Amino acid sequence: MPAGRPGPAAQSARRPPPPLPLLLLCVLGAPRAGSGADTAVISPQDPTLLIGSSLQATCSVHGDTPGATAEGLYWTLNGRRLPPELSRMLNASTMALALANLNGSRQQSGDNLVCHARDGSILAGSCLYVGLPPEKPFNISCWSRNMKDLTCRWTPGAHGETFLHTNYSLKYKLRWYGQDNTCEEYHTVGPHSCHIPKDLALFTPYEIWVEATNRLGSARSDVLTLDILDVVTTDPPPDVHVSRVGGLEDQLSVRWVSPPALKDFLFQAKYQIRYRVEDSVDWKVVDDVSNQTSCRLAGLKPGTVYFVQVRCNPFGIYGSKKAGIWSEWSHPTAASTPRSERPGPGGGACEPRGGEPSSGPVRRELKQFLGWLKKHAYCSNLSFRLYDQWRAWMQKSHKTRNQDEGILSSGRRGAARGPAR
Amino acid sequence: MSRREGSLEDPQADSSASPLPHLEAKIQQTHSLARLLTKYAEQLLQEYVQHQGDPFGLPGFSPPRLPVADLSDPAPGHAGLPVPERLRLDAAALAALPPLLDVVRRLQGELNPRALRLLRRLEDAARQVRALGAAVEAVLAALGAESRGPRPEPAAAAVAASTASAGVFPAKVLGFRVCGLYLEWVSRTEADLGQLAPGGPA
Repeated sequence: MPAGRPGPAAQSARRPPPPLPLLLLCVLGAPRAGSGADTAVISPQDPTLLIGSSLQATCSVHGDTPGATAEGLYWTLNGRRLPPELSRMLNASTMALALANLNGSRQQSGDNLVCHARDGSILAGSCLYVGLPPEKPFNISCWSRNMKDLTCRWTPGAHGETFLHTNYSLKYKLRWYGQDNTCEEYHTVGPHSCHIPKDLALFTPYEIWVEATNRLGSARSDVLTLDILDVVTTDPPPDVHVSRVGGLEDQLSVRWVSPPALKDFLFQAKYQIRYRVEDSVDWKVVDDVSNQTSCRLAGLKPGTVYFVQVRCNPFGIYGSKKAGIWSEWSHPTAASTPRSERPGPGGGACEPRGGEPSSGPVRRELKQFLGWLKKHAYCSNLSFRLYDQWRAWMQKSHKTRNQDEGILSSGRRGAARGPAR
Repeated sequence: MSRREGSLEDPQADSSASPLPHLEAKIQQTHSLARLLTKYAEQLLQEYVQHQGDPFGLPGFSPPRLPVADLSDPAPGHAGLPVPERLRLDAAALAALPPLLDVVRRLQGELNPRALRLLRRLEDAARQVRALGAAVEAVLAALGAESRGPRPEPAAAAVAASTASAGVFPAKVLGFRVCGLYLEWVSRTEADLGQLAPGGPA
């Protein structure tokens, strides 16, 4: 398990130096060809330390170099000269350095601790790796596109800031049998993600986890168990068309096609529609369009351009009981409502099938109709209150609704002639 | 005497003179390539020092100029040599660079694995400098001044069985040195080709 927060004691992880190719020495050629870097050596070379640790380092000048002495040597760390009080001469050829309470490394290739001669020339260097072991990754979430692949995302522990290069590896295996597999395509949907493109089984659970490793340790996430069928998403519905509904100035008709990849399986698919006015950033969402591929938006503003998008949730595939995962929204499609001189109504919802009067838009239209009737049809007693009374009466006398459709009592002469159609 | 009057020129003579415009075009093209790679080499060096951290990017940073197998800086007297000789030295340096750039790319793959753009630039540099080297060789061949004798196998390509690892700081310094040599030699090549290009002093 990774260590907790570090204490002040000097700690250097017992790890070998980073494995650099052996050809490095060959490339460099003769190591002491009159250059400065190899006239001294820093110890330790490339240590790994916990944040807050201390470090004791030495710079030893090679004895066979003429005039070699530790007199006048000084140190820099990441290009900044260190205060002389941190250094002391151990002997004629060795200068020591004491650093305390180290901060996390400034770059992942390591902090550059350099020993300089009096004239500023570089004698030797060592790279410090100061950081934290990784914490447990968490919040793994996965989804399968059309049951063909699996993409997973996770959150690194401690918000990922270890100051050291930390490698994340997504592992998976079939729950009841099989060997561990390692995901290979990383960073597909963000820095902490991986994509498994093929060879996935259905109807059997997978175990999935993430391992984080750096120079100071490793950590493993909790195991997520899932069946591919429970995390299916699909493509946005294609061929979204938005059109006017005759001359109705507050309505638009939206039609789309079931996503082709899962077309034969989407018996219980849900759809959602969202729409907004051209100049607005506020979307209105129509939920629970259920398993239709068309919908009528009502209560819209006349003479207005609307952008519309649709998305699909393929829940219930092969009997899965899970909620399913919404697809991306389709590309926006635009259409405009017919113009009108009358002020239009505000928001709206998807008109249900069958024309059953809903509250908002139908009532408004009825109000307008009643107003027109009062003007043109000598119905002086017409009022909206009368309409509400009629609706209440209709609900009470449910049995006689079909027989008395549109007929009012004699005491309510002149009221609306029947239920709105 | 004009062509219309029956010039002394004949098609045969014309075709034997035609390689010159072709050579000029080749020189011009190679010069343009060298100019482009000089710009890329500057960008590569800038990107490289950013990922190594200070003092690598600081003005005046001057690590020891370690000898690099098969390649050294242009000699002080380089500009005083005849152009073909300069181009021969350029071609030799350009041929030595790709394996060194590959080594640096592998080292940086371990030191800076997330520095994808740097790694890509190093990979591209190796490929581009190979192309420039081949183009310079073609110019030399067209001038009748090919390189003399076979080139030695690059030492960087042979992984020796050494037992010590040099450390991270020397690896950073090596990459700095190689990127610096790359910039020096492509800009040197650009200048030398400029002497031959139409409009140049030659």
